[in-house]
Amino acid sequence: MKKSFIAASLLLSGLAFGGDQEVTLTIENHQMKPSTIEIPADKKIKLIMINKDNTPEEFESYDLAREKIIPANSSTDLYIGPLKPGRYEFHGELNPMTAKGEVIVK
Amino acid sequence: MLSKTKLLGLATFFITVRAIAGPADYMYLPVITKGEKEIDFKYGTSKNDEGVRKHVSKLGLGYAPTDYWFTEVYATRESEGGQGLTIAEWENKFQFTETGKYPFEIGMITEIEAPLQKNNPYEVKLGPLFQTDIDRIQLNANFLFERKFGSNPEHEKFITEFGYQFQTKYRYRKEFEFGVQGFGEVGEWNSWDNHKAQNHRWGPAVFGKINVGSAQKFKYNAAVLYGVSEAAPDHTYRMQLEYEF
Repeated sequence: MKKSFIAASLLLSGLAFGGDQEVTLTIENHQMKPSTIEIPADKKIKLIMINKDNTPEEFESYDLAREKIIPANSSTDLYIGPLKPGRYEFHGELNPMTAKGEVIVK
Repeated sequence: MLSKTKLLGLATFFITVRAIAGPADYMYLPVITKGEKEIDFKYGTSKNDEGVRKHVSKLGLGYAPTDYWFTEVYATRESEGGQGLTIAEWENKFQFTETGKYPFEIGMITEIEAPLQKNNPYEVKLGPLFQTDIDRIQLNANFLFERKFGSNPEHEKFITEFGYQFQTKYRYRKEFEFGVQGFGEVGEWNSWDNHKAQNHRWGPAVFGKINVGSAQKFKYNAAVLYGVSEAAPDHTYRMQLEYEF
């Protein structure tokens, strides 16, 4: 019984640690924060995007092959990767001059 | 020399397959972006073995109310040999996977075509959609089932036909990408025609996206498709232009 409990605990903790790495990206005053995100190569990343502005924003990245609309004052998730080492640009389609950033994969 | 039976078989095939093998056929992509609205124009043309050219134009208005549902209505005009047909179409596309979460994106297309002239059959189309990325290459494969129903003045044999679409695209740069597209129909879903009677059209394609303002963009794709089976037109020219806003 005790052995089963230990095995189940190990399995559950393994699943928990085996989850995708999460990174939070905040949109505030039409800027992406942080503007540089560093992630490891060959790993899938869950990007949690929080839009604190009163206007919607569209996350767009040709390098990452992703686009997603984030409504005003709300959050949404986006999966990126696995990626090769390099620099991948992204920007906010509605405020491209101020809302921009990059993903550095090492 | 084809036997009478084979000729009859080919004739039946052409009668039943014409609707599915439209020159304005386009790739269904499973990835949906919530909130996206689009005006969409498609055109395609091909010439049959008798030298009669067919033109198909589609004008559509689409919207994605959620991350997993995209809906679009079309007005379609087909003309061939002096005869024309106007069709209303309603397409609904569903994405079953969260973009990027799994190695493949999986979706489903459903479409209903309603002819606006009397005495023409309705058509329904249904099938799974798949997409994956390998570095800068995007790969798509779709499997489609289509069946006519309703009015049947020519006493056609209504069958459930099986078709496919595939696309490979190298993402060279946003404004210009290139690859290959293929469209085909093999006959009844559980009893395929012989290769000569199947309709396979494959060829090079170009793609791109041009931003024209705040969250407004034009997307295009066009292809020259070569008939790679006897029943297919020698050349099909197809294009799609979308305005997203």
